[in-house]
Amino acid sequence: MASFQQFDVEYEMKVDLSQWHPIASSSDLPLRHVYQGQLWGRELAVWRADDGHINVWENRCLHRGVRLSIGLNEGSELRCLYHGWRYANRTAGCTYIPAHPADAPARTICNNTYRCVEAHGLVWSAIAPESSFEEQGVLEGLEPLALRPIPIAAPLHLVQKLAPDYPFGTLTHRDDTSLTLQYGQAKLHLFLQPVDAGKTTMRGLLTPAPVDSVAALLHHNATMTALRGEIELAATRLDPPTAIDVKFAPVAKGLARMPDIDNAGPKVELRAKVARKWQVAEQVMAFRLEALSGQFPTFQPGAHIDVNLPNGMSRQYSLTNGPGETDHYTIGVKRDIASRGGSTCLHDDVQEGDVLAISAPHNNFPLRRDAVKTILIAGGIGITPLLSMAKTLNAQELPFELHIFAQSKDDLAFSNILHDLVASTIPHMGLTPQATCDVIAGVLANYTPAQHVYICGPGAMLEATRELATKATWPDEAVHFEYFKNTHEIAYNTTFEIALSRSALTLQVPAGKTILQVLRDNGIEAPSSCEQGACGTCLMTVIEGEPDHQDVYLSTTERAANQKIITCVSRSKSNRLVLDI
Amino acid sequence: MKLYDYELSGNCYKVRLFLSILELSFDTQTVDFYPGREHKSEALLRLNPLGQLPIFEDADQVLCGSDVILSHLAANYDKSGLWYSPKQRLDIDKWIQFADEITATASAARLHDTLFYDLDIAAARAGAERLFRNLDEHLWFSEQRGYDWLVHTRFPTLADITCFPYVALSEEGGISRADYPAIRRWCDRIKRIHGFIPMPGIFATSKAA
Repeated sequence: MASFQQFDVEYEMKVDLSQWHPIASSSDLPLRHVYQGQLWGRELAVWRADDGHINVWENRCLHRGVRLSIGLNEGSELRCLYHGWRYANRTAGCTYIPAHPADAPARTICNNTYRCVEAHGLVWSAIAPESSFEEQGVLEGLEPLALRPIPIAAPLHLVQKLAPDYPFGTLTHRDDTSLTLQYGQAKLHLFLQPVDAGKTTMRGLLTPAPVDSVAALLHHNATMTALRGEIELAATRLDPPTAIDVKFAPVAKGLARMPDIDNAGPKVELRAKVARKWQVAEQVMAFRLEALSGQFPTFQPGAHIDVNLPNGMSRQYSLTNGPGETDHYTIGVKRDIASRGGSTCLHDDVQEGDVLAISAPHNNFPLRRDAVKTILIAGGIGITPLLSMAKTLNAQELPFELHIFAQSKDDLAFSNILHDLVASTIPHMGLTPQATCDVIAGVLANYTPAQHVYICGPGAMLEATRELATKATWPDEAVHFEYFKNTHEIAYNTTFEIALSRSALTLQVPAGKTILQVLRDNGIEAPSSCEQGACGTCLMTVIEGEPDHQDVYLSTTERAANQKIITCVSRSKSNRLVLDI
Repeated sequence: MKLYDYELSGNCYKVRLFLSILELSFDTQTVDFYPGREHKSEALLRLNPLGQLPIFEDADQVLCGSDVILSHLAANYDKSGLWYSPKQRLDIDKWIQFADEITATASAARLHDTLFYDLDIAAARAGAERLFRNLDEHLWFSEQRGYDWLVHTRFPTLADITCFPYVALSEEGGISRADYPAIRRWCDRIKRIHGFIPMPGIFATSKAA
């Protein structure tokens, strides 16, 4: 074999991104810590969420590029230290931007993630793996002792060459980034993690785990440290290597430009398996939905999904998930006596194991996280979006009250979750409409700036609460609400013209057709969800003209301003409406 | 009590941090360390002939240097008696010496990079890396034995307070802590001590689970 001096001078590092490497020890990832890792020159922010899930992310906030490894692991979200952007456990999607407290961040704001497996006391990752980790079968079924890893200031090829000098029995296996030494029954597996061109971390696993682990750890630490001294001395004879040139894939084109025009209606692009269906209150069933493959998109509190039902109907349901609960969606469905078939179908026909088509989450009921105090008022099954909000506020230790109005204890949905929120939850049982109003009037009595109230429940209760809030001097922008449905009689009998300022197109809306339908008929992309004027997904900006509002989404102030329109139901009082689309 | 203080000084921060942990109120007099070199002014040289910060006045005593001030505060105001207990004193003193080495290397590198001090930056960084390797090894084995702090006690001591600031500021001197995961975890633990305060370059961390 040639001595290393002969070939190292000319050595060019072979970067193979497809292989799995250990990047940390399990013990490097205690709760509420962010570990700074590196593999093939790529910096990694590695953090364990409170649910145990390990996230391996590109070490860079999407906003200003600050390292996420100096960010804050808050258990379910990682918060960038610079401008407070929050990223969700698992999905790495942005959940909150403090500079835009009233808005839900776009789903496309999502950090680069790397795959990760925790096994044998080590955390493994790969930049661009060609196979899954399990297929390699490294140390299958063994519980070895993970040694203290030693970072070595030397290139991988030099460590590869000198690592077999490790004084431990005989060399029984060797490949590009690992070797095995055997001494009697004991095996020492050494893994060489290519950190960067001039740096390699040596990670050892000892099998079987010795009885006196600290003594073994000390011994191998001393041995490996001595070997590091030899390798680093040899490295001083080499030219210092240039750092690996890291190139990140550019953002996908679809995310970086305006979307193509297509004739899409409500999109139910995801496939979800009903993993669990269970009763959470009288006439209320909960459904745990899990992705058939991959990962569901990021949601924020207040978000809802469209669910396509086996009977051909589409219905909207709020996600009840708290922050970080990103491996599934949970919805709560109340059987509606006057059901047109939506809730009945879910209650009676949909079973565990069934597959449903669902949309990605829409969030038109976003939660501010900058309120001095947040009041949540839930009527009946209106608890669902507020549950997600309450869990979020609770996780962040922000002050809130959750008022729940229900007929009886049996009607209180998700009471097991409410138990965790008990300090902030105030149930009100079996009240008459008048008594309900009296309680709500009391709750809303002392408005001070920077308080916000969120209301979800039956239409009559919402109307009453909004009136009470106005009476108690709550400004419109502090009163947030979401209706289950639009119970207003909607008139479709007018005709008018719409001018699309960005598309340079003028279209006629005939009687019997909605703005949304006319747009779609003409090939204009228009997102929508409930299509009855309740959810706000199809909102558009009005540049000129006077809308005829027929929705229940816009606030009184927004309606009066005539700058927004819900295009699935609302029409025009003026002959012409100019839309910013 | 009055602290002659420079906001960007890690040694002044040690004193502010410990005063905050002990819940003591104090006055500060800001010293124009850079660029004014006020610590070398006649008035301050009268207080500390070594021309260094921090300087601390308590009643009619004038105390100079962070180690002296920290041990004075521990001796007189630490109701718990644990921060500089006679039982651990020798062990703590060892780390106070270690902290002086950190100041001579990691802090020197920072002075070079941020305040344009003329010194051998390669030697300063190499010295700091040697110390950090030692520190990380010590902390890693401490964790293995179930201890969170530099001295093997159930509570932090002055050893942690005095070693922490210039370690936590090392990146300002071009010394990454990516190779020292046990040091990074120990920094998180210090940031969770009741009474912890930040300084420019040392930020708070999240709450413990």
